[in-house]
Amino acid sequence: MKIEIKDLHFTYPTGVEALRGISLMVETGEQVAIVGQNGAGKTTLVKHLNGLLQPSRGQVLIGDWDTTKHSVAKLASRVGYVFQNPDEQLFSRNVGAEVAFGPKNLGFEDERIRELVNDALALTQLLDKTETNPYDLSATWRKMVAFASILSMDTDILILDEPTTGQDAVNVARIAHVLVELRKRGKTVITITHDIDFCAENFERVIAMSQGKILLDGKANDVLGQDEILASTYVDPPQLTRLAKRLGLKNTVRNQEEFLNALKK
Amino acid sequence: MAIVNLQNVTYKYPLTDVPVLQNINLQVEEGEFVAVIGPNGAGKSTLCYTLAGFIPHFFKGELTGTVEVAGIESHNSVLSEWVLNVGLAFQNPFNQISGAKYTVFEELAFGLENIGIPREEMMRRVEDAMKLTGISDLAERSPYSLSGGQQQRVALTSILVMQPRVLVLDEPTSQMDPIGTREVFGVIHNMAERGMTVILVEHKVEWIAQFADRVIALKDGEILLDGPPSEVLTSSLLPSNGFGISRYTSVARKAKEMGIWNGERLPVTLDEAVNGFRSAVPKEEISGARTK
Amino acid sequence: MTHERLSYYLKRDSFLHQLNPLTKIILALSIILISFISPAYWTSLALWLLVIVPLSFLGKVWREFFISATRLILPAAGFIFIMQALFQPVGENVIFRFWFLDVTQESLFFAFRISTRIAVMISAFTLLLMTTHPSELMSDLSRRGLPGQFAYVVISSLQIIPQMQAKAQTIISAQRSRGMDTQSSFLRRVSGILPLVAPLVFGSLVEVEERAIAIEARGFTSTRPKTFLREIQDTSFDRALRRALVACVILILILRIWLS
Repeated sequence: MKIEIKDLHFTYPTGVEALRGISLMVETGEQVAIVGQNGAGKTTLVKHLNGLLQPSRGQVLIGDWDTTKHSVAKLASRVGYVFQNPDEQLFSRNVGAEVAFGPKNLGFEDERIRELVNDALALTQLLDKTETNPYDLSATWRKMVAFASILSMDTDILILDEPTTGQDAVNVARIAHVLVELRKRGKTVITITHDIDFCAENFERVIAMSQGKILLDGKANDVLGQDEILASTYVDPPQLTRLAKRLGLKNTVRNQEEFLNALKK
Repeated sequence: MAIVNLQNVTYKYPLTDVPVLQNINLQVEEGEFVAVIGPNGAGKSTLCYTLAGFIPHFFKGELTGTVEVAGIESHNSVLSEWVLNVGLAFQNPFNQISGAKYTVFEELAFGLENIGIPREEMMRRVEDAMKLTGISDLAERSPYSLSGGQQQRVALTSILVMQPRVLVLDEPTSQMDPIGTREVFGVIHNMAERGMTVILVEHKVEWIAQFADRVIALKDGEILLDGPPSEVLTSSLLPSNGFGISRYTSVARKAKEMGIWNGERLPVTLDEAVNGFRSAVPKEEISGARTK
Repeated sequence: MTHERLSYYLKRDSFLHQLNPLTKIILALSIILISFISPAYWTSLALWLLVIVPLSFLGKVWREFFISATRLILPAAGFIFIMQALFQPVGENVIFRFWFLDVTQESLFFAFRISTRIAVMISAFTLLLMTTHPSELMSDLSRRGLPGQFAYVVISSLQIIPQMQAKAQTIISAQRSRGMDTQSSFLRRVSGILPLVAPLVFGSLVEVEERAIAIEARGFTSTRPKTFLREIQDTSFDRALRRALVACVILILILRIWLS
């Protein structure tokens, strides 16, 4: 499902102009990372994708739906949004019920709900915790439960807000694994992240935002190599990109494979 | 004599069977900067609470062994006296704001009011601490109006005004954006430079490698490794035990297997990686002007 | 999260601002007590016009006071007046009839008395909060022996309300994003309470524990004698005024008992 954003402006009631003319197309199945300092407008932007915020000017289209013409609950069938803090949404007695909440709201058949819940729990490696109360889990696992509770809604588009915050290396690898699976299934993923190495290793397209505008938008290698422009929104290039640059490699690299390939030649 | 001295420390939270800390032996010298790394659930926060006296004085449960700071054993102290020796700051800056004060200046004075520091000294200490952490310009702002990085520096400063001898920091940058991280590390580095004993739990290995004197790797409540950063952070035990490591280390390890790493020891920082890889770069891969 | 202003306090330099916080509390309580004790039905209105309004000028906060009077105090008093006039089953002299409800002369008097009392009460507290910095209020009360824990709970709950509101908003957004319909039928709304309330409660429990640790780390339970950053003056005028106010209340109380 395609996302189309046309000249989007948004001003908060306080008068803060958070978005100042964003135009953007995301094709079906693309995985996009959005980077930039706090206050650049990243969260404000993605909150427009499921109608939590309505444009002050401009238009947001999710497939053929204009977000101003459909409720958030309706848009939830197309766009799943994983919030940053799992504690601001978990409420069920056990993980299984928590993950079933979304698909139930979408009115799916019982059989389908069971399948979707099972699939989401398997993807996030939570199957052995189905009967556990989410609040008996550690904060890192609660974050996985929140992720699973959106995956189970089987939306064509997924938004992740800072998925790796507070996660250790093992859980970050788990999240990366889910992203690979989502790519295979042709799901569109938009991730906000400060973790630039995670961004470099898992996303083909990167958007850098600053002061309510898009600063850079393109292939990960092209964007992450622009260290001077990135510095203006306080983003340091990934570790291996910096290393390659210091070594004077002519092409921008962003992961281990690209780096070692350049050295092997 | 070590300022921090943990001997055979084992701790179980109430209603649990498995100890979160198991037989921890740890001595930290005055002025040392010790970083603690470990996967989630390794017992890092529990170690912080134990050092800061919240175990056994705030969390119940079963603590055995001895915890000694500045020659006093924590069993024989009370929390409100113990915190004068050991300061604690943690992840979420928002929850560290007292909520009882309307300006940053008042917020910083809160602890000093509690322990009865005379007013003149209180004001002097707050002003000095604010200078040290670079937040003097925030003095009259509401703590709630600040950015995450600013709030976290306020939280650190509110501990520093108490002038503890040991600073225990539990992932103070995990919820920060890159600017916030830089600001907070700036403060921590500054404290360590001034000779304060710092025990820092942190995931960001590149920062640890730059600042810490010593790294402790904690796994399942036990100390797996304890030594200088260059040794611990490059140990092959880390990746196999679920620890996060620097991309420089992992790429060099792979390169070593392929025979294209010429460094003596695996790198942790950018500079070390640059030095080790320099001779391995094929000429045709180098762009015209070599950037520094 | 950018609330610079978390209290009703307005920074001014006025006679009222300079009074000791305890004096102002006693002033507010005296006004309220008199309005409740006094037998005359016009007392509250008189107090409002002749004491509270002049005080708002004296405190240099009359502009803000009138704004809150029109937005909060008058609507609240008006609402109470209408409810009391309609539902108070007293009196014989029916003035008019609304559906099945009788509005009598007595119920009107009663409604007038209650609503003006409420107006006086809200107004007195509004003025107190507008002219007294909450930190000063709590410092002064702690110095006078109010337990530190109590003062902390009061003042931190004042500050926590805007934070709770923001949190509730995020929770609503998160659950709507999971397809929860918050704008539908009553039945679905009732079943929709748990997903909204449970995260708020649990989140608060986590926060309370962390905050408790944070303030303990700053010696909150220290048994050493406390000191205070704020110096608060308590003049002989303050003390005299407090005695006069207490005397005034006692006088009116005696008057009331004697008259009845």
